[in-house]
Amino acid sequence: MVLLSGFAGVLVLSSLGVLLSKDNFYSALFMTLTLVMVASVYTLFDIQSVFVLIVFVFVGAIGIVTVALAATYRAMPERQFSWVWCIPVAITAAVLCHFISAAGYGIPGRVAFSLSGFIKTSEYQLLVVFLTSLVILLFLSVIRLYRGEES
Amino acid sequence: MLELNAMTVPVIYLSSFAILLAGFLTALSCKDLIRLLIALELMFGAVFMSLIPAFVIAASPAFGTSIITIFTSAGELLVLIAAIVIQDRRKKNVLIEHITIGGDRV
Repeated sequence: MVLLSGFAGVLVLSSLGVLLSKDNFYSALFMTLTLVMVASVYTLFDIQSVFVLIVFVFVGAIGIVTVALAATYRAMPERQFSWVWCIPVAITAAVLCHFISAAGYGIPGRVAFSLSGFIKTSEYQLLVVFLTSLVILLFLSVIRLYRGEES
Repeated sequence: MLELNAMTVPVIYLSSFAILLAGFLTALSCKDLIRLLIALELMFGAVFMSLIPAFVIAASPAFGTSIITIFTSAGELLVLIAAIVIQDRRKKNVLIEHITIGGDRV
């Protein structure tokens, strides 16, 4: 519980760092730290496979490209925080808090997930095949978009 | 290994909503596309965080949902990264104010 609270504290502080940092490069680094902390929370509940997916796919590929982009387009740092936009965010927070408090937390229990049981199920195999096809199609469309722009 | 109970679930949800709102505010007040990309990744992080309690109710469907969320969000962000590069080639900057939607200029 202490470890979970510590991780939650670090990830809330690093997400505030993303918001308040002037330089996009440091914002990208704080964002990477937040995502690694989110993945680490999964390990506390013994779900290591999602930790691997988040750290390798999301942080390892997209997060690092974002850090590289932020370092490349490193213009003059300026504060990108608007107090005016705090009003709709506060309204959203109030609505979320209302529904969360109304719903309650009636799901006690321990996580019992096994990767071998997931892979053996044919429906999930089909899901992974469809997802792989979707990702390949998406990558091909990105390449086509980029090539069309070049020509 | 931790157990999901009345102590841990609020910590997960509250931190998830804190990340979501920080990402939301970052996206609303951003002035360039890089900051927008960072804000979107932060909001997807909040989605991953809020999926944890689903593993107690139905572990395998929750894992399937996690796989779909991670790969589709990574694909979406990849398209945005390609769009940022194209925007930089066309406009020579990555500022939000230089993005125009199709149609007539009023």
